[in-house]
Amino acid sequence: MRLSLLRLRRHKDFVGPERRLQRRRTIGRRLWPYLFVTPAALAIAAGFLYPLAKVVWFSFYSGSLGALTYVGTANYTGLWQDPVFFQSVLNNLKLLTTVPIMTILALLIALILNAQIRGWRQYRAIVFFPYILPATAIGLVFGYLLERNGVLNTQLRHWQLGWMAKDWLGSAADVVPAIGGVIIWQQLGFGVVVFAAALLAVPQELVEAAKLDGANGWQIQRAILIPYIRRTIEFFVVVEAITVLSSIFTYVYVLTKGGPAEASSVMEYYIFENGFENGAIGVASAAVVVLLVLACVLIGFYLRLRASGADTGR
Amino acid sequence: MHAERGFRRLCGFAVRDGTDRLTTITHRLRGARMRTFSNRTTRPRFRAGGLLALVAVLFAGSLITACPDSARAQNAATASGQAYAGKITYWFWGESDIPGIDKWMSSMVSAYEKLHPKVTINLVPQASDTLIGAFRLAAQSRSGPDIDTQWATLPTLTPYWDKAAVAISDYVPASETSQWLETSENAEGGKIVAMPIYLIGVPLVWNKQLFKEAGLDPNTPPKTWDAFLADCAVLKAHGITPFGMGNKDGYFGAWMFAIYLTQELNSLDEIKGAIGNTGSFSMTQFDGLLRNLYTMMQTLVQKGYLNSDVASLDLNQGWQLFPQKKAAMAFTTDGNVLSWGKALGEENIGVAEPPKWGHGKLADSYDVTQSSDEFITSWAPNKAAAAAFLVWLHDPANMKALYAETGAFPADERFPVASITDPLAQQLYQLDTAKTSIWLENYLPPQVDNDADLPAGQLITSKSGSPDQAVEIWNRVIQKWRVQQIPEYRQYRKWAGGNG
Repeated sequence: MRLSLLRLRRHKDFVGPERRLQRRRTIGRRLWPYLFVTPAALAIAAGFLYPLAKVVWFSFYSGSLGALTYVGTANYTGLWQDPVFFQSVLNNLKLLTTVPIMTILALLIALILNAQIRGWRQYRAIVFFPYILPATAIGLVFGYLLERNGVLNTQLRHWQLGWMAKDWLGSAADVVPAIGGVIIWQQLGFGVVVFAAALLAVPQELVEAAKLDGANGWQIQRAILIPYIRRTIEFFVVVEAITVLSSIFTYVYVLTKGGPAEASSVMEYYIFENGFENGAIGVASAAVVVLLVLACVLIGFYLRLRASGADTGR
Repeated sequence: MHAERGFRRLCGFAVRDGTDRLTTITHRLRGARMRTFSNRTTRPRFRAGGLLALVAVLFAGSLITACPDSARAQNAATASGQAYAGKITYWFWGESDIPGIDKWMSSMVSAYEKLHPKVTINLVPQASDTLIGAFRLAAQSRSGPDIDTQWATLPTLTPYWDKAAVAISDYVPASETSQWLETSENAEGGKIVAMPIYLIGVPLVWNKQLFKEAGLDPNTPPKTWDAFLADCAVLKAHGITPFGMGNKDGYFGAWMFAIYLTQELNSLDEIKGAIGNTGSFSMTQFDGLLRNLYTMMQTLVQKGYLNSDVASLDLNQGWQLFPQKKAAMAFTTDGNVLSWGKALGEENIGVAEPPKWGHGKLADSYDVTQSSDEFITSWAPNKAAAAAFLVWLHDPANMKALYAETGAFPADERFPVASITDPLAQQLYQLDTAKTSIWLENYLPPQVDNDADLPAGQLITSKSGSPDQAVEIWNRVIQKWRVQQIPEYRQYRKWAGGNG
């Protein structure tokens, strides 16, 4: 059998030098695109895959660079046994609740502005302003505002609302909601601008037609405007979820440094504290791996939701 | 073989040259040679002639690039008649302890550069928050400062153990180091790792006017804990905040640990034994002491003897309550006392030892330390030049300038005590030098300090947990440190007198 195949191959080779040439050309043509992709693939491998592999490798070691000791899965076990790690994950999840709040608020403001009330452009600029401020500046300002005897509480006491005055950043119970409030305050403007732009793109004929059919303002918003900008809302939710999960380090660092007693620590801060302050690169790497898995799960969940949405034609 | 012969010649030259720098390179390269040789014997494929030639060329290349740095610097220095030449990067910290010290250091750098025109010193002031973390990061890549400032003892010894720092006593003669004060804080294996600049004590400071308003004797500070609590009660009854501090950053808690846990100890070996698990002092015993400390702190919080916003102010912010006359007492540094003396009038403030609370043999010590110190990094290309600059800082004229410009007490025997003429400063100097000096926080591994000492105090001042929970934090973090920092833990054990 093997002999006959060999003969056949030889026969083919013998009978068709042009075909051989053609086959080479075909192979060359097939490989050609990969050649173009190679630099990008190499760049991705060097810039992403290699560091990722290194992080996974570090997660099995103890000590700092230059004095590493192999500890197997001890860093992962350590994470599992570390209440601060769980507190950090929990705080990230708590802060995720800011996403629906800011989405709803941003949508409401955008719908109001979309009615093109007098001075709507100025209002839009004012609402957007916090978004362009650096998070460090916001952290410093809110650090002073939210002190126990800071501006906010002094004003509350002045308005006879002293019962609402709390030690916003100094109390373990209030610190995470306070940070969440700061995040909403800053990120809201982004949502408003994105939604307002999307609403401006809604064809006016649709709205006019609905009006002719007797739809009131609420019905127009609920049945036409919001469904029309659904993709934009989805985009905003995903961007903000990613922000809250992996880009809130600055707020926590400037406002509380994870305190009091690690009550406001988030995953990023946990990684920073272990990796940079304590030099425990293994633990920090293990936490990075867990964060990455968590982010992948969330992204997978979102993609699945989108896919099911597309299947049902929504 | 050719490369090896050439290498041997270079080694011989380096050793004969007699400079520390070249000897160090030689040792390093000797290690490299041994490794190369061993590789060749265990991996026959490397015997191939072509590869050997390539290795030889690369090896020679690396020697050419490694040696000239020092050789060139040395030759240039010798040729020009200058003692040293080159650039020194200096990560400096101190402003938080001694207001005005950054300015003094800048003037010192300028003066030194004028004296040695071929030396450039790049002074990089550091922040308290990132002092340890930034250097840890630099140490991991073995690049960054040539001279670094760290807090004394463990924050200084851990980089030394990690081979990120070299012992300064290897570069400075004993006749000089013997003039420095408190060098025992950074001594390891018979060597001195770092150089102190100043001494800093943490006294109790009280506002005599506010004491008077409350009907207390303005010239009698509370000496015992009971007297302290009684004074606090009287002040509070008169609507005066008895004690003003800030603990949002956890440093007030760390200060309470440093001041008051010391008073419960009979010797420093107890804390070292407990953390290093050497068997000389158990964690259970240590837990008991911690529980007492946090119960005492909880009492202060519950009775309202601390400012109500202690949990939402940083240590520095909390201090401001005293000069603003919003608190009657505080713990602060010598430098701040002098600064507040100017603001409030020296006759209006008093300084004394913190009230005695503990019952250990060390209860009679005083909380004074060199606080921060300067060491040379292991990767500094010209360690001798760095050492020369540091030694120059201890020149009596420069130490005198430090005192004149900042009021800080130089950590140097040669400093003439007679030049302290200010009565408040005299009192502070008397406190700093009269007793055994200990700052207990320095004996904690940085990770334990950061993850246990600071949060445990925050837990109490923010009313978020009990003393038992604070002790639990310590236990958890110490266990975690022992597993996560195995090399550091081994060194600590050895240092603590146990089996490394």
